[in-house]
Amino acid sequence: MTSTTHSTPLGPTSPRPLPTPTPTGPPPTVPMTRDRDDDLAAVPAAVRSEWIKLRSLRSTPAILCLTIVIGVLLSWILATFVKTDPNTHEVFTVGQTFIFSTWLSTVLAIVMGTLLFTSEVHHGTLANAITSQPARWVIVAAKAMVGAGFGLVMGIAGMVAGFTGAMLGGLETGNTSGMTATALWGLLLTTLAPVFGLGVGMIIRHSAAAASTVLVWALVLENLIKSLAPPKLTRLMPFSAANGLLGIQSAGDTPATRAVALSRVHDALLFSGYSLAAIAVGTVLLYRRDTN
Amino acid sequence: MITVSALTKQYGQRIAVDDITFEVAAGRVTGFVGPNGAGKSTTMRMMVGLTRPDRGDVRYHGVSYTRLPHPARVVGSVLDARCMHPGRTARNHLRAAAALSKIPSRRVEDVLHEVGLDSAADQRAGGFSLGMRQRLALAGALLGEPEVLLLDEPSNGLDPDGIRWLRNSLIEFARRGGTVFVSSHLIAELAMFADDLVVVGGGKLLAAEPVATTLARGESTVVVRTPHTAELARLLNQHGIAADISGDRVCSHGTSTAFVSELVFEQRIQVVEITGTSRSLEEILLDLTGASAEFATTRISSNA
Repeated sequence: MTSTTHSTPLGPTSPRPLPTPTPTGPPPTVPMTRDRDDDLAAVPAAVRSEWIKLRSLRSTPAILCLTIVIGVLLSWILATFVKTDPNTHEVFTVGQTFIFSTWLSTVLAIVMGTLLFTSEVHHGTLANAITSQPARWVIVAAKAMVGAGFGLVMGIAGMVAGFTGAMLGGLETGNTSGMTATALWGLLLTTLAPVFGLGVGMIIRHSAAAASTVLVWALVLENLIKSLAPPKLTRLMPFSAANGLLGIQSAGDTPATRAVALSRVHDALLFSGYSLAAIAVGTVLLYRRDTN
Repeated sequence: MITVSALTKQYGQRIAVDDITFEVAAGRVTGFVGPNGAGKSTTMRMMVGLTRPDRGDVRYHGVSYTRLPHPARVVGSVLDARCMHPGRTARNHLRAAAALSKIPSRRVEDVLHEVGLDSAADQRAGGFSLGMRQRLALAGALLGEPEVLLLDEPSNGLDPDGIRWLRNSLIEFARRGGTVFVSSHLIAELAMFADDLVVVGGGKLLAAEPVATTLARGESTVVVRTPHTAELARLLNQHGIAADISGDRVCSHGTSTAFVSELVFEQRIQVVEITGTSRSLEEILLDLTGASAEFATTRISSNA
């Protein structure tokens, strides 16, 4: 379809007329329809669209800056004021503390993931996306990919910030043999976190409600459940898996919970399972619910 | 062409859209009118796949919306001009939309110019007036150079110059073969450029016809001032036309000025004045939909 220019009909500030549609003719006798291959082929375009949406908002660099600030501050505070591990009474090292802020980065990444969807619901732009791309799973897949990519960036930024804060606090480097593995597991977590958040956002569909649900669960409910339920059950909860991936202990951890802790591989599979389940449920709801 | 067949949508006990069937022809502007709560917005949402109908379907040249390979290149829609992130600039809003539909990014600059938002392209949508948001929403609908435009209250927030631009643009779009389906409460405005009307009330289809047919529903009145009122009244009755006499005036209903003029000329009846009046489209539609209005207004009381 080509656009035809016209002289402005209505004065110096009047906009130009609408473009010329395709010249009329008989409609196609065998109309083209989209199929699964068309939907798959549309994923890269959807990813590009979601990336434009993400990078065009001021909140995106703000979240990244917050991740960096938290990373530097938390590590520096631990290095300067806490100095020793309360469990082992050993002096903190950079190799231990650089990962601590990743837990907060993970929570931030989950909240960012919820906003990928709930923000669109709130501002009505989800309707625009669905009218352009009726295969709703394509939109979900694109959001998940972009969210995961940004979560990876947040993870890297948070760890570098944590490392920097620890160095600024004067900590010794310490045993770095496990740093690479811890960093990689941590990056896996921050990559999955927005996907988990996206699923939660698709289910709850309200920014404040989704974010507060995540925070209350992570900071309060899971620790409460840990104090009441058997360790073999509580180790299956999502933020227990997250802590396991990072190799850190939460406030609710006891010798009993530590004794039955899952391996990092199992924690990764568990958190991945939660993320995929949230996305799956959210996608089903997206298809079933009308979009206003 | 758009074919809407037996479209039905129910929310709980309430039937929002009740078995609506109509066609929207290419090359014409079709107005979609009805009182508040008539089912217009629900119908339009079903037409673009946002709401799933309980029964019936909508097809564009025989293909349902969700099966179109590139919906944005066939149908451009504006259902709510407020649907934009306030923190995103107009240019980025359109870039994201263009990317999703694999539309070249140069089209973004084209449509921004076409709707007159060049100078505001890098302003965040949160600072836009309603009229600017309406223009930006229209720009989004035009990105894919569609054959069909579906617009819900597009003139909301536009100044008179903008309304005139929109009206002329839609007429031109239809004249060049495009299909325009526009809902509006501004019936007088719609009457100036719509070719066909689809009228709904209480979720039901009340009429789907050319505007001329709708206008013909309104009974016209011809008033003749003549010294020969009784003779003229008798003559009109002989032709099956009801006539009332009031002083030196004969008032006839359901006829035209041309017919009465020809009649008095043939019968050589002296006429002082002849005046024809017809009901406006707004009056006709208000009568048509009045019984199905969900929210009826009453006179505002005065404490004076």
